[in-house]
Amino acid sequence: MAPGPFGPGGKEGSMGLMKFICDTERCIACNGCVVACKEGNHVPVGINRRRVITINEGQPGERSISISCMHCSDPPCMAVCPAEAIYKRDDGIVLVNKDLCIGCGYCLLACPFGAPQFPKAGPFGARGVMDKCTFCAGGPAPTFSEKEKRLYGQNRIAEGKVPLCAGMCATKALLAGDAEVISKIYAERVAKRGSGLSPKIF
Amino acid sequence: MAGVANTWGYGAMTNHFNDIRHSKLIFFIGSNAAEAHPVALQHVLYAKEVNNAPVIVVDPRFTRLAAKATDYVRIRPGTDTAFLMGLINQLIVNDWYDKEFVQTRVAGFEELKKVAAHYTPEVVEDITGVPAKEVVRIAKLLADNRPGTVIWCMGITQHHIGSSNTRACCILQLMLGNMGVSGGGTNIFRGHDNVQGATDMCVLSHSLPGYYGLSEKAWRHWCKVWGVDFDWIKSRFHSKEYMHKPGFTLARWYEGVIQEDKIYQYTPIKAVVFWGCSSNSQSQYFKVKKALDQLELVVIIDPFATTTAAMCEKDNVYLLPSTSQYETEGSVTSSCRQAQWRYKVVDPVYDSKPDYEILKEFVKRFGFEDKFFKNIKEIPEDVTREIARGTLTIGLYGWLPERIKKHTDHWHTFDLFTLQAKGGPCDGEYYGLPWPCWTETHPGTPILYDISKPVAKGGLPFRARFGTEYTYPDGRKENLLAAEGVANPGSEVKGGYPEFPGWKTDINVIRQALKRGMAPFGNARARCYCWNFPDPVPVHREPLHSPRPDLIKKYPTYPDKPDFYRVYTRFKSEQKPELVKDFPLVLITGRVVEHMGGGAETRSNKYLAELMPEVYAEINPKTANDHGLREGDYVWVESPEGGRIKVKVKVTERVDPHTIFIPYSFGGMFMGKSYAGNYPEGLVPYAIGEPANIVVNYGYDIKTQIQGTKEGLCRLKRA
Repeated sequence: MAPGPFGPGGKEGSMGLMKFICDTERCIACNGCVVACKEGNHVPVGINRRRVITINEGQPGERSISISCMHCSDPPCMAVCPAEAIYKRDDGIVLVNKDLCIGCGYCLLACPFGAPQFPKAGPFGARGVMDKCTFCAGGPAPTFSEKEKRLYGQNRIAEGKVPLCAGMCATKALLAGDAEVISKIYAERVAKRGSGLSPKIF
Repeated sequence: MAGVANTWGYGAMTNHFNDIRHSKLIFFIGSNAAEAHPVALQHVLYAKEVNNAPVIVVDPRFTRLAAKATDYVRIRPGTDTAFLMGLINQLIVNDWYDKEFVQTRVAGFEELKKVAAHYTPEVVEDITGVPAKEVVRIAKLLADNRPGTVIWCMGITQHHIGSSNTRACCILQLMLGNMGVSGGGTNIFRGHDNVQGATDMCVLSHSLPGYYGLSEKAWRHWCKVWGVDFDWIKSRFHSKEYMHKPGFTLARWYEGVIQEDKIYQYTPIKAVVFWGCSSNSQSQYFKVKKALDQLELVVIIDPFATTTAAMCEKDNVYLLPSTSQYETEGSVTSSCRQAQWRYKVVDPVYDSKPDYEILKEFVKRFGFEDKFFKNIKEIPEDVTREIARGTLTIGLYGWLPERIKKHTDHWHTFDLFTLQAKGGPCDGEYYGLPWPCWTETHPGTPILYDISKPVAKGGLPFRARFGTEYTYPDGRKENLLAAEGVANPGSEVKGGYPEFPGWKTDINVIRQALKRGMAPFGNARARCYCWNFPDPVPVHREPLHSPRPDLIKKYPTYPDKPDFYRVYTRFKSEQKPELVKDFPLVLITGRVVEHMGGGAETRSNKYLAELMPEVYAEINPKTANDHGLREGDYVWVESPEGGRIKVKVKVTERVDPHTIFIPYSFGGMFMGKSYAGNYPEGLVPYAIGEPANIVVNYGYDIKTQIQGTKEGLCRLKRA
């Protein structure tokens, strides 16, 4: 497989660790990431793989941040899942196997970011299976299969592309990719603050 | 845009989005770019981060853009000119203005100085609500951080003194010497895709394409370009008078139907065609609705069944489905005067047709296809060629379809900061050939009025549009041409010069000028004093519906204007000091990032509708408590004209206790009633709501007649 824009992609072989960073100095709460995610992955209304949270709205100190599954190094959702439906890929992307998920909701209680999403409760309070951000890496179904697309959405990582949300971000507040690459971009951005120079930053 | 054009020549964004990366200061006034222009914010945030550029946001509302500001200035709606004149006055009295620039490239400085002197920090505080010491501090910031750019949008233009507001912005930049330089300029962000292109083609009632106006000379020029007999065109009009008389504007066309204000036309309007236009973006919308129900014929050409379609209750409506931009192709013009080729992605879906085809079908049925398509065999390339051949005023001669496509295809070869191609097939040219692109080999003009570059390489002086000399009312005479020594490199004349006779209609004149290193439109001074405006130097005038009756006497509006775009337009007779007693709150409207214009498209997108499902009124906690309103309650907002809408309450400190804000993109509800049943089956948008424009007040700009959406009064009643 050809290496993607942020190092080697896909499942096999040695690879970097996939991460998101949201630069709150740059996030303008335009929700472009949310809509790109939903449109591109055909996420149903009511399910939010990604959200923009604003604090101090309408007051000095207003800040916004785009939040989704953070693909934790030690994911609490995975630890509490009684069905072992949640797994972590070698590249750090945390995914759910919808064939195994029993919809118990423990992962939602365990997650500090509120990332796991469930379809609306039915008449007996039953939940559907969990859905969350896949880092646009599809799911356990065969790569590029119809089943993968239906249950999990696009597999852009296998295509060597960044997730839809970060690709859409107008101000490049949301960065996604190999942790080393994006932390370098962010560190350079911070280092250049106030430098008055004009080399390109991205 | 009239204000800008009358200051220095062209009414367009002078620099470009990417150039903001060079700015040392960014001054937003009447713009919420974070929601209206989110993509442009990348350049603003870059300048803020890397250049430590102060980002000043002047707005009545603490917007999402204000959240990104270093300095937020809350201003009373409708007092922008007073604030700007206050800044200009500070620059002058403290000697912070650019003397060399003013002496060599600016006219009317003495007249400006006299008027500006009135706007002391204390006077400005009284009018605008901005503390006096803030006025001085912001002026100092502007002076200390050059070059800075000034950015505005509808918050500046949509007032009865909109054209004074725009001129005050321009004058501020002239005083700072920020014109014609990278990082400076007046960057007027256009509101919609291809608005600049639509403006350049003058989809307006007072001019033929390319700002030629409606004179016989203008008609003859275009008849020649189209290859059509002038007398035949003339025969199409009711009389010769109507060939030269500006028509109704978008803001007031409905008066041509309902005639509540007197009209100046031989017949009322009987039919209207909405072609990609939302009627719910027009103020006093309940009057628009009345007109829709009186018309004999309403034709809506749109990819969506718009609010207009749902509003018509008479059997007089025809919907013609047109394609989206993805199903057709052609050139589009960006806010910063660049052309790009938009390729077709898919063939038209369902029974929709591209606009070109719909127009062709009409022309065929009307029986003048032979005349209409004389030069047009290949669509849309030949259309672009015809535009290029005819539009010499703004230098579109070089906009050939092949060149535009070449730029689009090789966009990656252009520099992010300067827009200039480094090597490759477009080497040395600027992306999208920003107009004026005088000839088929001209590289485009990335920054207007930049005298550091030769004209043939994208430089320009200020335009000589207003003669060579002027005598002011006090007898002072001033040479309007640029001073000796001010000219582009390589210019045969090393100072100011008048325009080349005939340049607007003869490409050979343009070629001659360029050969001599000179601008076809001359080399003049920018004007602080526009004698063809009701206020030659911008002055504050209280909004027609003012919350400060005490100031109306001191700063009254204009006399009424009869036959103003064919309709009597009230100013003085509409300014009623007692109105504020019954309507104590100021109403402003604006954008939300999720929705666009009238919202036909965005409210039909389920994800955008999910994010922004409902119309609401932003109300300050104090005002909400005084009215007994809580978050989520419903409230009636009522206008002095009799418009009323029922909206949800959003309690927030974004607005001050005197002001309420309503987003304007909703439709499908009308004064408390749902019109969902009026949409064709299956086409009801996911999000419907009351159009804010139902309660936007009477009031129009004195020059352009643009509606005043940011300075009305209203009252709240618990629903």
